[in-house]
Amino acid sequence: MSERQFVIPIGPQHPALKEPESFYFTVDGEVVVDVEPHIGYNHRGIEKAMESRTYIQNLYLVERICGICSNAHQTAYVGSVEAVGGIEVPERAQYIRVFMQELERLHSHLLWLGVAAHEIGFDTLFYYVWRDRELVMDLLEEVSGNRVNYAMATIGGVRRDLNPDNFPRWRKAISKVQERTEYYIKVASTEPTILERAVGVGYLGKGDMERLSGVGPNARCSGVPCDIRKINPYLVYDKLDFEHIVVDNGDVFGQVLVRALEVLESCKILQQVMDEIPEGEIRTKFNPLGRIPEGEAVYLVEAQRGELIHYTISNGRNMPYRHKVRSPTLGNIPSLVERLKGSYIADIPIILAGIDPCFSCTDRMLFYDEGKDRSWVWTEEDLRKYRREWFKE
Amino acid sequence: MSAVVDAVQVLVFPGLSFILSYTLFVEWLSRKTVARLQNRVGPLHTGWQGILQPLADFIKLMVKEDITPAAAQARVFNLVPVVVFAIPLAAAFLIPIQSLTGLYSYDPVASFEGDLAVVLFLLTLNALAVFLGGWCSGNLFGAVGATRVAFMMLAYETPLTLVAFSPAILAGSLSIKKIVDWEVAGFQGFLAQPSLHGLLVGLVLLVGLAIYTVCLLAELELRPFDMSEAETEIVHGWQVEYSGVKLALLNSGHYVKMVLAAGLMTSLFLGGPSGPVLPPLFWFLAKTSFCVVVMSNLSALFARFRIDQLVSGAWRYLVTLAILQVMAVLALKGVV
Repeated sequence: MSERQFVIPIGPQHPALKEPESFYFTVDGEVVVDVEPHIGYNHRGIEKAMESRTYIQNLYLVERICGICSNAHQTAYVGSVEAVGGIEVPERAQYIRVFMQELERLHSHLLWLGVAAHEIGFDTLFYYVWRDRELVMDLLEEVSGNRVNYAMATIGGVRRDLNPDNFPRWRKAISKVQERTEYYIKVASTEPTILERAVGVGYLGKGDMERLSGVGPNARCSGVPCDIRKINPYLVYDKLDFEHIVVDNGDVFGQVLVRALEVLESCKILQQVMDEIPEGEIRTKFNPLGRIPEGEAVYLVEAQRGELIHYTISNGRNMPYRHKVRSPTLGNIPSLVERLKGSYIADIPIILAGIDPCFSCTDRMLFYDEGKDRSWVWTEEDLRKYRREWFKE
Repeated sequence: MSAVVDAVQVLVFPGLSFILSYTLFVEWLSRKTVARLQNRVGPLHTGWQGILQPLADFIKLMVKEDITPAAAQARVFNLVPVVVFAIPLAAAFLIPIQSLTGLYSYDPVASFEGDLAVVLFLLTLNALAVFLGGWCSGNLFGAVGATRVAFMMLAYETPLTLVAFSPAILAGSLSIKKIVDWEVAGFQGFLAQPSLHGLLVGLVLLVGLAIYTVCLLAELELRPFDMSEAETEIVHGWQVEYSGVKLALLNSGHYVKMVLAAGLMTSLFLGGPSGPVLPPLFWFLAKTSFCVVVMSNLSALFARFRIDQLVSGAWRYLVTLAILQVMAVLALKGVV
């Protein structure tokens, strides 16, 4: 570090970060030279807790990994469990899961748009966007009964049906959201102060993005096509007609664009689901204490923030032997660090917010020896050994 | 007798009490305007439409815990809020509002040749005090905010001073009272006998008003120039360590400054507190409220600039425009 450089710690508590996470910025004047992310302030041991709960109990635990992408986590979890157990999901239930996913994407993207506006000091846009987001929140409440943590999916299907009598009203609300989003796209791409703060900020090209394997809108704004709904369709996404949104701006403006265009696509999908949803059962029977045969499965879901991976191992009991979650934010941190290098201090909040970070999804635990620069993870055997020694006295 | 009148003028009207109550009203007006523009309702519960909310906030802050951080340089840190509150208040005495001696006269509490320069000097002093407050607060964010205040001062000070002097050049006086007199006489003359010269003077002053408004947004740390207290970047910047009484004073100081800025804008470009039929007090309130609404409106319309964008933009466009405006003023003056 030269004499002119000094380190600014941002986080674990900072208004730009909605969750506790820490970044050490080495700055030269107003320019960021290096970034050191320190994750792990929000570890809650959910993966471990899942190992001592039945598959049905885990439905509600897995939702609480994240408040905003709760449905994505649940969809991925039931998907992986159903894949291990070979459980069929009725087509109507699959459509309803898609419906929930897209509603959740709408609310999450609108939320992000508001937060991004707030980060660049444009509170007026923030209030407007969040007001329109209420339309989606009302829809979510009407469909599932909850505004957060919808508890819709269950193993073998979904818990609540959609009532076709409500479709006309829902269609109206969704077209209203679509109309407003089109307006916001117009505002964001013409308002000079937004352009000043967004165009060229936190740029990362396609090659770098592929090397750092970013996911979700963060990667799609740099021209990397990576929408799981398109490249590895799950549920009934292959039957639905929607665009694979990829832009090559590579900067914060590109991120705004990708998310806004995805909102429009989600509106399209929601209308299609209401058109095409077949009649039939909404779930197959699954015994709440039922066992899942031995096996393992990976299930990929395109959550709002990107590719979400759930991996289940069953040893034939009614609880998972191991359940592993890889959330999109973790995949986006390397590219975030690269985006931040060379930017101004004033741009840090918007670039940080640009990947739509969710640290509570991300945080994992491992052991790290700073002196030896060595890290390791404890296996079940290690944990048992530790427990035996701890309780010896 | 005149001593009593003087005392009343300083303490009650149009001095201390009046300016402070008007400050509370301006705070409410500004907050309400921004709230309505942002699709919110703003304060509602205290008094009619929440009109007492600023007073309630002030009292609430007064009873909160007053902290001086161990890392701060206590003497400067504690002095700054008082200074930041007192300076604009003192400068406001030089703004013509309404005289007690005559219904239609608007002599300020104090007036002398050169008081415009004093007001501008006090505004600069205010920014320096803010810088010191942030710098001595012993907080990294405070220090960053303080340097940003200094950078902003570099950006807006030159064009602000230039355009503020342009009506003074035209009026041939550095006294705010005399500038207002000149404006009133000039406007009435123009109405009686319209001329191309009068129209040009009006247009040039309008350009000056526009530049002045932009500079004031920066001076008042309003959006899009609130980078010195950018909440999401540096956690309210130079104010970060202030709490309790000191924060109450800082907040009020900010709105006193807004009253001063609106009053200066009215005096220099909008004909001061004069107007038809009604006494100056009414016109002062109407015109300054209008200025406050305009400034609040502008501040709700934009995203925040970066500090480098402000400095380069100010020197590239604002200073150029201000110099051109002053040159135009000098040319017009030459014609006279």
